[in-house]
This record gives sequence, structure tokens and C-alpha cells, in this order.
Amino acid sequence: MLRLSAILAVSLAAIAALPVAGFAESGKSWIIYGGDQANTRFSTLSQVNTSNVNKLKVAWVVQLGSLEAQESTPLVIGDTLYVTTSGGPKYVYAINAKDGTPKWKYAPEIPADVQQTTCCGLDNRGVAFANDKLFVGRLDGYLVALDAKTGKELWKTQVVDYHEGAAITSPPTLAKDLVITGYAGGEYGIRGAITAYDQNTGKQVWRTYTVPVAGEPASETWPGDSWKHGGGAAWLVGSYDPKLNLVYYGTSNAAPWGASERGPDKSDYGKFVNLYTASTLALDVDTGKIVWYYQTTPYDTWDYDGVNELVLADLDINGKKTPVALKADRNGFFYVLNRQTGALISAQPFVTVNWAKSVDLETGRPIEVPDKRPRLDVWAKDICPNLFGGKNWEHMAFNPQTGLVYIPTFNLCMDLVGKKEEYKKGAFYLGEEWDLDKPGPGGFMSEMLAWDPINQKRVWGSKEELPIMGGALTTAGGLVFHGNIQGWFKALDAKTGSELWKFNAGSGISQGAITYELDGKQYVAVVTGRLKTPPSFLGHTGERIFASSAEGGALFVFELPN
Amino acid sequence: MKSSIVVAGAVGLLATQSWLATAPPVVRADDVTAMKNPYEGDPLRAAQGRSLFNQFCAHCHAPNAISPDPPKDLRRLRVRYAEKMPEVFYFTVTHGRPDKGMPNWTGILPDETLWTIFTFLQSVQSQP
Repeated sequence: MLRLSAILAVSLAAIAALPVAGFAESGKSWIIYGGDQANTRFSTLSQVNTSNVNKLKVAWVVQLGSLEAQESTPLVIGDTLYVTTSGGPKYVYAINAKDGTPKWKYAPEIPADVQQTTCCGLDNRGVAFANDKLFVGRLDGYLVALDAKTGKELWKTQVVDYHEGAAITSPPTLAKDLVITGYAGGEYGIRGAITAYDQNTGKQVWRTYTVPVAGEPASETWPGDSWKHGGGAAWLVGSYDPKLNLVYYGTSNAAPWGASERGPDKSDYGKFVNLYTASTLALDVDTGKIVWYYQTTPYDTWDYDGVNELVLADLDINGKKTPVALKADRNGFFYVLNRQTGALISAQPFVTVNWAKSVDLETGRPIEVPDKRPRLDVWAKDICPNLFGGKNWEHMAFNPQTGLVYIPTFNLCMDLVGKKEEYKKGAFYLGEEWDLDKPGPGGFMSEMLAWDPINQKRVWGSKEELPIMGGALTTAGGLVFHGNIQGWFKALDAKTGSELWKFNAGSGISQGAITYELDGKQYVAVVTGRLKTPPSFLGHTGERIFASSAEGGALFVFELPN
Repeated sequence: MKSSIVVAGAVGLLATQSWLATAPPVVRADDVTAMKNPYEGDPLRAAQGRSLFNQFCAHCHAPNAISPDPPKDLRRLRVRYAEKMPEVFYFTVTHGRPDKGMPNWTGILPDETLWTIFTFLQSVQSQP
């Protein structure tokens, strides 16, 4: 506990000392999914840097005992590393962060039939930690608290009935004495909600639905009963600004994907924007009240979820230090918002975008290209980006030293057409036909992109042949780390994008890496294990992905030679 | 493998669409090994089935059935089940395989739709 207090003191000092940079940053440990409450995935560690990263070698490997869809970000608290596996999770492990020796494991009984109600792979993205407790959300809709020392279950609360088509895939957000979580289910017509529980007891403190009931404010944005199965699932991670007392979550697509039941089925959709789907929400931590919202894709029909993580930073905007939130949205636009007010500062495409010409800075709305909006039985062809988005859940990272955001992007397009479909509990509720196997211009299918968020422009890009690359980690050593779907783990120069080092980990890498220091030595850790379900959406490109690396499940930890 | 299932004519969801307006032949499943697709070899049904497959099945089984994941690759049905392919197909979609992620489509898709989808699947089977 002493050690942890010291770590917290260090990171608090770092917050206070930061001039115009990340609003928080990780210290020697990695205590939260996004590296810090601001989700920057920036580490101040610099022992591993541009001059010696080419000497990086494997220190140890832990086999995770579960295949498919490894999406976990490990945490390091003191000398313990916590990592979850795929399978909802099949396991949560506590291991010695220095040599990989196991300490304990938690193996929950998760019913096998969650497969039916989990759209995109049997995943789990990790745990959250506070006060000697770990919090983990599960594919069966439960949130549990574990004793971080023993792995013993302290409490277990049902957030949502998974039979509805819901699942929890991401770690919760911790704020004050609360543990806050959303859930997935936008492909099954669930009604999204964000719920806060007492960290000590698991008792519910507040719940805010992301789609209003008829008669509530914003319900006029839904015709008839369409709100009932309207989606808006907050399935990825939140961010937290303690000073503003706000917690931020993004919400998924409106359900079903086909829009004909949710409005007029055309680009001139008027009031039928289907709030608060495909939006960023700022919630008051104490009450859950929605303080502001910003909808990135009104009346969505492209599956452009607005869930992507918000990175919080204080940037110099027109000569004034401004508290901003950065989001590389599925819809292909990079948004800079004032995170106190929700006001839109700027929005520019960071990948090839053709469904909208631009975002109107007055109204905040995208100016649609009508031909690229699929309608009932009317195909829209070659829409870019495809429904994976310009970026999906794989995390971006913000480096306050370069001022750049490193974004794992997709370069894919798609064809879509709306279809009629009846809702049935627990069944896919898409109402669209789709073809996603359409590489975008340039012959590459993904790219690590360095983006200047102030000037909204590209600085460099490192292209990847196949889509679905891993999330980013950036460090004070001048580095960007990321993996790819073939299993290569790479270090790039944060200033230029040139490749400085790579290692073949043998199975695809999706999640971002972490870094930490123990006894004066810096380690870099990454989870490998190729995804199965999302590549399957891609037809022949999916076959190439499957051929490029085997299924797997391992934690690789790297170090410099002594 | 005696079953009381009677594969009845299609009613419901898609019956209003003109191309589905005619009732399909009744297939009796008293002897399930003899189960046969009433639309076998019908190219129009195969084309319609492709579209229905892409709407209802592709999220797990991949658009146009081009799945890279062997357990979910329905182009391998004939290799796996040979002459029992129709029976296994029909039993699976009307009972589900909950532990493998396959829902039970009873009450969602009528039999006519199921056999139309099956006609498409028959047209894309890989060689043994």
C-alpha cells in the first residue's frame, strides 16, 4: 500500500507540473486501462528509447490458457501484473511483474451460451483497480469485485441480463467511490445504459439510460416505439476528469442498423437524430445526469458507433489553454471538443471519408452525401470508411512531448442496403445487408497515423498490408509501440514513424502494449492472440488474415539486456 | 433420430414479398434422413438466398459465406455431412447450438426463408 501511495503521489505531482500537455500521465506503474484517467496511453518512462530499442528482447512469456480474441490491457500495481484472457474472461491472472510467476487466478463460471449474444468475439479488455480491489465486467452481464491480493470474489452484481443480447467487454471507470460501467448490445436492439455502483458493496447508486423513454427530453428524436430497441450501447471504456467531476462515455450505433424504422430513411432526417446514440456523453459523477452530449453521427445507419475512447488533454487552442477531449471516431472524423462544455472546436477527416463532406462547425452536424446513405432496399456502394470505422476500439495514444496523437486506423470501404427486420429478444437485429471486403484507396488496409490534433492534420503514417492493427502506446523515450494482425510487435520513432524494431510474437496483436518500471528496470508488455470474429466479416481478406497468424493467447514481456 | 417436426409451409415475416408469395411444397420430416430441399437447384432461390443469408447469417458466417473460420464456414457442410446436409441444416437452425453461438431461428425465420437460404448454401459448397 505504501508503494501505491508513493506511485499516486508521483502521478499527482506529474499532473500539477504539466504545462500544456496530457492532463495526467502514468508513472512507473500502469494502474488503469488507458494509462491514466485521461486515457493518453503515454508513459513518462524513457530508459527504453530511440537509441536502444533495437536491443529489446523477451524477458519472459506467460501462456494465457485461452485462445481467440485477446483484447486485454494488463495493469501493473506495485510488483503485481493483472491480466485477463478472452472468453469473457476465462481467467483473470495475478502474476509477478518481474518474472511472470503466477500468484493467483480467478476462473469465473460464464455460461457457454453467451456466444449467441456476443456480437464480435469472446473477449475481455481488462480490469480496473482501486483500494486493493479489482473490478471486472463479464460477458454474462455481471460486474464483480475481487480482492486484489487473493482473487477472491468480494461481490457480484448483475448489470444487465445477457439474454437480452447484452455483454460487458470493457473494464469499468472508477470515480470517487463509484465503479461505473456500460454494456454492449447495439447489434441486438438493447437499450443502452451507464450505471454506477458503490465500490465497496456493489449496490447501484445511479443508472442513466442512453435512449430516453417516450415523453422524456430527447424522446422526440425517435418516431413511435422505435426507442425501445434503439441501441446506444456504451460498450467501451470511459474517461474521468476529477476537476470537472465529469465521467465521459461514448455510445454505439442506433439499432437496428437499417434506419427505416427510426426516421424518414433519408439524409434530410430533421428531428429524428435518435438521441443519444452515436454520441459522446458527459455525466455528472455524483448523479449520472447528462451534463452535455455531442452526437457524432445523427440518425446513424452505417454502424458508426460513437464509443471510441476520449483522450483528455489541455491544448493550446487559438492561444488559449483549453480543456479538450480528443476522439478519432468510427465515422472517420477526428473531433476536438471542449470537455467542460461539449462545444465542438474542430472536426476533420483522418482517413478517407465520403459519406459526409465535412462537419458543420455551427450545428456540429455532418453534411451528408445522400448517395452514401443506404436506404430500405436501396444500396449505397463504396462507402468509406466501412463499419469497422476509421478507427475501432484499438486504442490511440497522445504524446505531450510530440503533441501528436497516434491512431491505429482502417482503410476499408463498404456496400450497405437497408432491410426490414422484426425485433426478437436476444437475436441479431441489424436490418441491413453488407459487404465489407473493400480496401480503400492506396492498396493498404490499415495505418498507424500520427495526427496533429491542434492543426488537424496528418504528420506521418506507417502502413500495414492487412486491417485490424493493434492499439498504440507512446513513451517519453520517443517511441510508439503497436502490434499488427500478423503478430509483429513494432517500435516506431514517435517523430518520424520510421520502424526501429520489430518482433514476431506468433499470433495477432490487437490491444495496445503497456510499460512499467520495477527495481530500476523498464519493461514493455503486450498481449497476443489473433481476433477471429471481426476478420470473419471480411470474406477473402478475412481468409488472408487467418492465414497470416494462428490463434493464440500469451503475454510477452520485453526488456533491455543487462 | 425420429422427430415430430413437420416442416410446414411458410407464413409470416416475408410472405408479403411477391417472390415469396407462393407457398412452398410441404416437406415431411418423419424420416429426417430423407429430408430434401424443396428448392434444390433453383438459381432464383439461390440468388434470393444469398441476400437473405447476408442479412441474417453473415454476422457470424461471413458475407457470401466466405468464412475463414472452419467451424463457421458453411461451405464445408457437404464435406462434413454429405447426404445428411439438409437434415443437419434444418435441425440446427430450428434448435440452435447455444453453446456454439448458434441461435434457434424458430419464430424468426419461416421455413421458406430457411430453405431459400439453404439453396444458396448448396450453390457454394467446397469440393471434398
